[in-house]
Amino acid sequence: MQIELDDIRKGFKVYERPQGRWGILKGAFTRNVRLVQALDGISFGIGEGELVGYIGPNGAGKSTTVKVMSGILVPDSGECSIFGRTPWKERVRHVSQIGVVFGQRSQLWWDVPVRDSFEVLKDIYGIPAADYKQRLAELCCMIGVEHLLLTPVRQLSLGQRMRCELVAALLHRPKILFLDEPTIGLDAVSKLALRAFLKQENRKNGVTMVLTTHDMDDIEALCERVMVIGRGKLLYDGSLSGLQQQYAPEVIMKVNTDEMIASMYSRLSLV
Amino acid sequence: MTFRQTMRACRSLFRIRFAEGLQYRAAAVSGVFISVFWGIIECVIYTVFYKYSQNPWNDGGMSLTQTMSYIWLAQGMWGLQAMSIDGDILEKIKSGDIGVELCRPMDLYFHWLAKSSAGKLGAVWLRGLLTIAAGALMPAAFRLKPPDSAAAFGLFLAALALAFALCSCYAMFVTAIRVNITWGEGPTYMLMLASGVLSGGYLPLRLWPDFLQGFLRLQPFGGFVDIPAQLYIGTLAPRDALAALGVQFFWCVLFLAAGRAILRRRLGSVIIQGG
Repeated sequence: MQIELDDIRKGFKVYERPQGRWGILKGAFTRNVRLVQALDGISFGIGEGELVGYIGPNGAGKSTTVKVMSGILVPDSGECSIFGRTPWKERVRHVSQIGVVFGQRSQLWWDVPVRDSFEVLKDIYGIPAADYKQRLAELCCMIGVEHLLLTPVRQLSLGQRMRCELVAALLHRPKILFLDEPTIGLDAVSKLALRAFLKQENRKNGVTMVLTTHDMDDIEALCERVMVIGRGKLLYDGSLSGLQQQYAPEVIMKVNTDEMIASMYSRLSLV
Repeated sequence: MTFRQTMRACRSLFRIRFAEGLQYRAAAVSGVFISVFWGIIECVIYTVFYKYSQNPWNDGGMSLTQTMSYIWLAQGMWGLQAMSIDGDILEKIKSGDIGVELCRPMDLYFHWLAKSSAGKLGAVWLRGLLTIAAGALMPAAFRLKPPDSAAAFGLFLAALALAFALCSCYAMFVTAIRVNITWGEGPTYMLMLASGVLSGGYLPLRLWPDFLQGFLRLQPFGGFVDIPAQLYIGTLAPRDALAALGVQFFWCVLFLAAGRAILRRRLGSVIIQGG
C-alpha cells in the first residue's frame, strides 16, 4: 500500500457566542467552546496507481483528510504512512513527491504570466532544466495550454486557470496527486478536458490519485473505487456500482448530461 | 533540501515578486508626492526650531544643514519599513491558502522572507530614489547635501543594504506572530508603530533627550533609518561605523532566528481554515 491511514482522528474547536439577550455582551468575555470531530477514526489503504473518488456531504471531513495526507495538518491521533513516511513529520520530503490541487485556491501568481509561475515552481522543486522543458511541453500539449503561457493569470478564465493549476501540480512528476474539487465551477467542456487528462496521466505515468468532489459525473468517469465519508467516519469503500446496488437499486443512470451539454456547445461553436 | 536549492528557490521567488511589485508605478508616483510633501513640512518645522528657538536648542551635535539632509534620506528610506504585513501573505493567513504554501517543499519562513522583501523592494525603490532626487533639487536652505566624504557614502550604502535586510527580517518576525489567526491586527500594528517611532523616521534620534542616547544606539530600529542617515551626513564618524553596522547585523540575525522559531512553533498548531 502506498497510502495507509490508521484510525486518524482530528477535532476542531468551534467558538460560539452565548445565546440570550445579553449574549453579545457576555460573548465579549466568555465563549462557549464546542468540539467538532472532523475525523473520527478514519482507516483505509490505497495502492499505487489507484484512482479513488472520495465523496461525502459538505463538512464531512473530506478536505481535512486530504490536508492530513498532504502533511499540512497534524491529526490528534492515529497513524498515517505514505511512501513509508509520516507526512507531517517529514513535510518537506513528503510534499516534494506529491501534487495537490485545491479547486478553490490558486497556486499561481496572480499578476504575472503563467510561465513565470511555472519557472518559480521549477526552482522550488529543483527540477533540472532539461527535464522541466520536456515535461512542460508534454503537459501543455496534453491539456492544451500552450497558447496561455504568456497571459497573466488574472486574465485567464476559470477553466483555463484550472488547467494551468493542473500543469503546475504535475511539473515535478509527483507520484501521488490529491485533487480537492478540481472541477468546481467549470463548464462542461472544461470538465471533460480535465477528466480526460487526469485519466491519461493516471494510465500513462501510474500516478495515484485521490479525488474529492461533489460532481458524481467526475467519479463515474474516473474512479473505479469510491470512498464515502460522513460525520468523520468512513461509511463505504468499494466500487461505484456496488454503491448503487447497496443504497439505490432503483436509480438507473443513463444520461450523461456533461456530454450532452458539451456536444451542444460544440455544435453551436461556442468553444 | 539543500542550502543551495533553497537559495535558488528564494532568488526565483524574489524575482517574481519584485516583478509584481514593479507594476504599481502609479502608487510609486503618488508615494513620491506624499514623501516630498512631508519632507518640506519637516524642513520648515526644523528651520523654525533651529533659528527661532528662545532657549538653547539641544541639537545633539546635528547642524541645521545636516538635519535637512537627514530628513530627505529618512523620507527616501521610509518605504523600506513595513507599516503592515505583506498583503499577499496576510491574505493567505486569513483565507487559509497558507495550506497551499505548505505543500511546497520549502522552509516556509525563507519562502515568505524572500517574497515579502522582494514585494517591498519592488514597490518602493522607485519612490525612494525619486524622493531623494527631489530632496537634492530643493532650494538651497532645504536641500539634501552631498555625503560628508567618499568613505561616508560607501558606509551609507552598506548600512542601507543592512537596513533593507533588517526591515525585512523584522517584518517577517511580526508576520510570524500574526500567523496565530485568532489574534487579529492589533498587536502587529503596535509593533510596527513602535519600530517606526524608534527608527528616527519621525524625529532624528540625535534630537532625543541625552539620557536616552545610549539606549537609542543599541535598540534594533535605529538600523532602519538612523544609522544609514547619520553615516551619510557625518554625525556618525566612519570610525564608529563598524559598531553601528554590527548592531544592525546583530538584530538581523536575532529577528531571523526568533521569527523562524515562532513560525515553526505556530505551524505545529496552525488551523487551516475553510474547505
